[in-house]
Amino acid sequence: MKKLLAFILALGMVLALAACSGKDGQPASLSSASWEEIVDAAKGTTVTFYGWGGDEDRNNWLASVAAPYMKEHYDITLEVVGMNIDEILAKLAGEKEAGSASGSIDMIWINGENFYSAKENGLLYGAFLDKLPNTEAYIDTQDPETLNDFCMPIEGYEAPYGKAQLVLYNDSAVTPETPSSAQELLSYCQQYPGRVTYPALPDFTGSAFVRNIIYEICGWEQFQTMEADYDTVKSAVEPALDYLRSLNPYLWNQGRTFPDSSTTVDAMFADGELVMGMSYSPYGVSVGIENGVYTDTTRTFLFENGTIGNTNYMSIAFNAPNPAGAMVVINAMISAQLQLSQYEKLRNLPVVSPEKLSAEEKAAFDAVDMGEGVLSQDELLAHRLPEMPAKLVPVIEEIWLNEVVGK
Amino acid sequence: MRKKSLFSRLALGTAAACILLPVCLLVFWSVTARWSWPSLLPERWSLRTLRELFFGSQNLWQLLGSSVALGGAAAAVSTAIGLFAARAVALYDFPGKSLVRFAWLLPLLVPGPVFAVGIHLTLLRIGLADTISGVLLVHVTASLPYSAAILTDVTAALGGGLEEQAALLGANPVQAFFAGSLPGLMPGILSSLSMSFILSYSQYFTTLIVGGGRVKTLALTLVPYIQGGDRSLASSYALAFTGSALLVFVVFEAFIHRGRKGDGGI
Repeated sequence: MKKLLAFILALGMVLALAACSGKDGQPASLSSASWEEIVDAAKGTTVTFYGWGGDEDRNNWLASVAAPYMKEHYDITLEVVGMNIDEILAKLAGEKEAGSASGSIDMIWINGENFYSAKENGLLYGAFLDKLPNTEAYIDTQDPETLNDFCMPIEGYEAPYGKAQLVLYNDSAVTPETPSSAQELLSYCQQYPGRVTYPALPDFTGSAFVRNIIYEICGWEQFQTMEADYDTVKSAVEPALDYLRSLNPYLWNQGRTFPDSSTTVDAMFADGELVMGMSYSPYGVSVGIENGVYTDTTRTFLFENGTIGNTNYMSIAFNAPNPAGAMVVINAMISAQLQLSQYEKLRNLPVVSPEKLSAEEKAAFDAVDMGEGVLSQDELLAHRLPEMPAKLVPVIEEIWLNEVVGK
Repeated sequence: MRKKSLFSRLALGTAAACILLPVCLLVFWSVTARWSWPSLLPERWSLRTLRELFFGSQNLWQLLGSSVALGGAAAAVSTAIGLFAARAVALYDFPGKSLVRFAWLLPLLVPGPVFAVGIHLTLLRIGLADTISGVLLVHVTASLPYSAAILTDVTAALGGGLEEQAALLGANPVQAFFAGSLPGLMPGILSSLSMSFILSYSQYFTTLIVGGGRVKTLALTLVPYIQGGDRSLASSYALAFTGSALLVFVVFEAFIHRGRKGDGGI
């Protein structure tokens, strides 16, 4: 038995060594390497990009635009792996526990609470944003929204990938009104009882919707510096809880239960079961109309006081086998060219700063046709509110569960 | 007799409807863009998802190839180990026999996600995480309880008599097994192969965690689309998944039929 164990362990070590030998030719220390050296070191390597794989359009864009771009310009093979962020972090935590110095994940698509916990638990590579030439060239490095991910300073640990913003949508042929405040939403729900709802928290979109209601009723400023203490938060959001409870009798299933996810709400709207929905993709409606999922009369709208917007990011894993390659890919992702392509093909709000674009680049962004039923970028950004600190998010989700559902 | 046949026909029809109706719904949804209440038929049709399935970001044939190969390998390994284990338990007596029988059911007692996360740590230490061998090992662990249980029953029912007879006639143990027992074990072997294949083919979480996303299978591509809420695309992938698994079963079945004909049947 002992012999067998020794054999298995030896075999494991040989395999581990074989796995390690594939990453020769990297500079000993990336922190002191120049950008040219990093690009050189990344030549001919493979970079793995782990992130949510449930968006067909994004998968296609990564496979048909981003990957060929990396191959052509930097001789890097970009391998995209679809995995939920929870599983990515579980995998990294496991590797950390096992003391694995070299993992399999290079880049991660991440933000918010997940960034917070990944950074706290040492699952990320470290500061790299300042090393990327395109940070200076295209990103507004003074913009507090970019520098703070759900109020957590990013400290160069991640680079912006795209912007999201909560929007509401309905069908003008079914309901002519577009409620532009929490109060109007209440009368809208009373007018169409049982046909409005929102995803059960902790769904990403449902959680943002409830935070947006809290902003509507209680204002947003006080939350930016609030302690993540249950009682403190609860007393601050009490008026919003009252509002949400007053909404319940007019919601789908009288607010006793809520749909499990935003995708269920989208589907229920498409099926005609609901008259209104909410989404974190500000241009989701135009994609839906093009695919024939939504009717042509579906349109996007916002609350007059604004809706929550946030940025999603790319980061590097603590045990990335190819951090140099990851930096090169991330640098390319924040270039005007790939951001423009994302804006065009994925209808994703770009992260590049308009002031830093050349006249030509700016014209190219302006020329993009965003399709039917959506709002302009200027309109969205003019009604954009900052996120709450990541630590408050799970507290609010718990309060909602205790104080709103079925009450 | 007539009554019984009517009843059995009814039961058969109900069972068939329970299986076929959802499949029909999948076929509809795979080419549907919008199908809202109360329309009986979809309002907008679309070939978008079929285009995505065959020419999209994922290479369907590569996915099918790797999934079927992995499932086939897991089925073969699990059935081979199950066969040896079954013979040991069914034909021989040794101390701790009931302990062995219990031990191979252990993987069924531990919930899949717990097993996956735990085994991932171990495989990381021995360098098998993120490899096909590691995933194969985990799939075999998941299907072995079924293989062993099926094959133990069949082996026990057949007994060792035919092999003893063959040995008396001068056959060596290998000849005795192949000529004596194997033909009779074939139905059990087929069940074990099919069962382990489908178990491996439908593994999602274990493949994801142990394979680290580097080992790509059809199930691994299918599940994010279901979670992502794109019903049409999920239906297309589900059809490809079910269809390909059925096709493999047909091939298994054909093999066994040919084998039985060759032996003149039992």
